[in-house]
Amino acid sequence: MTLKGGATSACAACKYQRRKCIPECLLAPYFPADQTKVFQNAHKLFGVSNIVKILRSLDPSQHAEAMRSIKYQANVRDRFPVYGCLGVIRQLYYQIQMLEEEMHTVLTQLEMYRQHHHHQQQQQQHQHQHQISSMADDVISQLELGMASSNNALPLFNQVTHQPYTMQNTYSSSDIDSPPKDNVENNSLWIQHLFFDTNNHGTSNNDSPIAIQSQLLVPNSEPLADTQHQVVQDYDEIHPFFDSIDDRQSYIDTKDAEDSSSSEESLKETTQLMVGNVGSKDLKSAAACFSLASVN
Amino acid sequence: MASSSHSSNFPCAACKFLRRKCMPDCVFAPYFPPEEPHKFINVHKIFGASNVSKLINEVAPHQREDAVNSLAYEAEARLKDPVYGCVGAISILQRQVFRLQRELDAIHADLIRYATATCNCNEMPPPMGRTSFHQNSSCNIYYPNPHWNEPYEGNGRSDGGSL
Repeated sequence: MTLKGGATSACAACKYQRRKCIPECLLAPYFPADQTKVFQNAHKLFGVSNIVKILRSLDPSQHAEAMRSIKYQANVRDRFPVYGCLGVIRQLYYQIQMLEEEMHTVLTQLEMYRQHHHHQQQQQQHQHQHQISSMADDVISQLELGMASSNNALPLFNQVTHQPYTMQNTYSSSDIDSPPKDNVENNSLWIQHLFFDTNNHGTSNNDSPIAIQSQLLVPNSEPLADTQHQVVQDYDEIHPFFDSIDDRQSYIDTKDAEDSSSSEESLKETTQLMVGNVGSKDLKSAAACFSLASVN
Repeated sequence: MASSSHSSNFPCAACKFLRRKCMPDCVFAPYFPPEEPHKFINVHKIFGASNVSKLINEVAPHQREDAVNSLAYEAEARLKDPVYGCVGAISILQRQVFRLQRELDAIHADLIRYATATCNCNEMPPPMGRTSFHQNSSCNIYYPNPHWNEPYEGNGRSDGGSL
């Protein structure tokens, strides 16, 4: 009903009911005159009296939200006369089920990749250990034969006694063709999957491992060429990664330390024996070799 | 559950509540058995008997039972939560869908990174495709648009749809 004098027109509710829309009309804020269809849906499902009853049972601060939900429910019922909002709920349940199934499948796939990656890591480490032991055997055999050792072998021999990781470092840095780049990438990926494995045990409700994972992966987004350049200079810095990784990696480190320490001890014993058996001239020449050797 | 046989000696829950004689052609009788009085009481409180009767008559006979059951569900939800009713459950479920979708996207991204980093794409199967669902902006209570043409787009505002 339009008031004379150009005043605001009646709300859709009062218009439908053909009554004067008073300023205190409870439904006027929620059913403007241009939304007749919305009101018709709400009136068809609930009825004006029931809507007013609901609003009067609520605090005025809750009226807006209540009317919003009432209008939504009425519109859904108009669109789907049989199932209404229940159909929407069922659809959402179906979506959730599909998503959870897909997540389970993808996590299984991720586990496959992780195991494959872990297997590759172990193979590389075994290769490194084998090469190190073969190098040590070569050094021993050369010393036994009394041959002058090369500059590369002596510093290698020196560092074997003290720093197994440094030996690895020296070996890796002296051999550019060795895959330190892969070590860096593997270490970063190792961190990735270890954090993922440690923090995420198949629960889909925990967002933190995913966030942690993403954060860890961000620094590793640099190009491979830059990574390769930095590896030779920063390879020493990779070792803290080994220290911060969980027990599985620390177990491998311990095993490496034990293997290298055992080789150290055998080399020490061999050296002592040889020192006892070698003459003074040989000692002097050996000392000269030690002094001239450049330790990297 | 609709009762196929109706006896005049046992009025349906609707006629019992309305204190009227339950006729053989009572529209409520098949869907409001006397063993479930609260079903009709809830529906009557929220929607009203006349509205329910009109809604039942507008639906095909083989769908009326589902329509009544959905009305009973909505009425009960509205009684439990007068502000949001069953829309609150819709909002919660939609948020869960969004959260699962985000997690799935993150896992897919990591899977692709893992697959490319191992450099064994030929050996490992390619990452699976993704399920994509319609997403809207988040708000305190989410009113999802279940992929239907919004009939109120001609109006200035479309209330009751996606917000």
